[in-house]
Amino acid sequence: MSVEHRGLLSQLVRELVRLPGIGHKTAQRLAFHILKTDGEEALRLADAIRAVKERLAFCRQCRNIAEEELCEFCRDPKRDRSTILVVEEPSTLYAIERTASFRGLYHVLLGALSPLDGVGPSDIRAQDLIDRLQGGGVKEVILATSPTIEGEATAIYLTKLIKPHGVHVSRIAYGVPVGMDLDYADEVTLTKSIEGRRDL
Amino acid sequence: MPLLKTPAITLNSRKWGEADRIVTFYTLRFGKLRGVARGARRMKSRFGSALEPFVQCELNLFEKHGDSLYRITQADIREAFVGLREDLTLMSGAARLANLVAAVTGEGDQGPRIFETLVSGFRSLEDGNDPALTTLLYQIKLLGLTGFRPQTDHCTACSAAVGPTSGTVLRQFAPTSGGLVCPDCARRRPERCLPISPGSLALLQQALRWTPDVVTRLKATGQVRAELEAVIEAYVTVVTGKHLPPANFLAAEGNPQAYGTRD
Ligand SMILES: [Zn+2]
Ligand SMILES: [Zn+2]
Repeated sequence: MSVEHRGLLSQLVRELVRLPGIGHKTAQRLAFHILKTDGEEALRLADAIRAVKERLAFCRQCRNIAEEELCEFCRDPKRDRSTILVVEEPSTLYAIERTASFRGLYHVLLGALSPLDGVGPSDIRAQDLIDRLQGGGVKEVILATSPTIEGEATAIYLTKLIKPHGVHVSRIAYGVPVGMDLDYADEVTLTKSIEGRRDL
Repeated sequence: MPLLKTPAITLNSRKWGEADRIVTFYTLRFGKLRGVARGARRMKSRFGSALEPFVQCELNLFEKHGDSLYRITQADIREAFVGLREDLTLMSGAARLANLVAAVTGEGDQGPRIFETLVSGFRSLEDGNDPALTTLLYQIKLLGLTGFRPQTDHCTACSAAVGPTSGTVLRQFAPTSGGLVCPDCARRRPERCLPISPGSLALLQQALRWTPDVVTRLKATGQVRAELEAVIEAYVTVVTGKHLPPANFLAAEGNPQAYGTRD
């Protein structure tokens, strides 16, 4: 390959390496795959990326993915506007939607606080959520952040922020996965599931 | 592929690929190392919470030939430090100690005392000792063990004695030289030096010299602590080559710059 050709290919590799979870070797494999693929197929990928960037944005109210100013849930008059469920990423929102067990509105943080990585309150724009509460009508906020250190930090911080507004705050229960043998649960998981027990 | 076993503390953990994690540990037997935990993010992962940050576990891993990444086969919790997950101040103090160890140690350099000091620092935070002071003192302790021991007996530039008993009135700390400088040298240095009062200097020396179980009994007034915090913060920034996330999350809340650098 000529120097110029190698330059073009390594430019593609450099862009691919920036994607989460893609290392240099994988990026090289993908770049060679794209090089070998016929033109139309490879360009479909480029078009799909362009379409997402041009046509999709984040909902003005909840920061879910939206094709218009408001997302499909914020626009839906049948959703219960008194409950907001807070998630870290849109992917979690869609996982919860698939359960069909929640009919309220959402708030997507697009991240989580991280004392280890230096992600602070301004990075997750917590104030956007508080602004929504100040609009009135919200009775409960359900925090559905992950049971990781980042999710915990986010839940603790948001609780502190929301409580003064007189809105009920709850945290999704966590503990033993359904179908798991209790003997195999580790002690943090067991402690959390005992703390999060409920009356029968 | 030999199987290795060692007590380990998780310093941090990154998502990797579809469902895996790459975890950085500080281990009792092998110092800092990184390993892949396959499937760690799946619902029925056999790792459970054993690889969460700050958890001390008994780690089983394989060394893969020609790869700096180990393969984690099993991790059983020895000490969960659940309390460090339930309070933002404790969480950010523990995060600072973990980040400091991750930044100033090299992979594969053994340091059993670093491991023990980190564990003891987490215990001390969880036991309800003053979190800011505990975090400060343990940072000093860890710096002393990792080859970045602050020089507190004589001027790092001209070797003149400047300890608390030397009678020199104005003491200054030069972060880039890693220790005290005498007034003459301080004046000639292009970098900014930080003032350090006799009280702060005495606390710094005690924190370096004493064992972890005694460290928690050290007390400091607000001014001594603030001064020493400024000195250590500047020194840590020089030693690690970056601004680590704030040691006190809530104190940094109104100060977005405190979160300026991420990597
Ligand atoms: Zn929306
Ligand atoms: Zn000097």
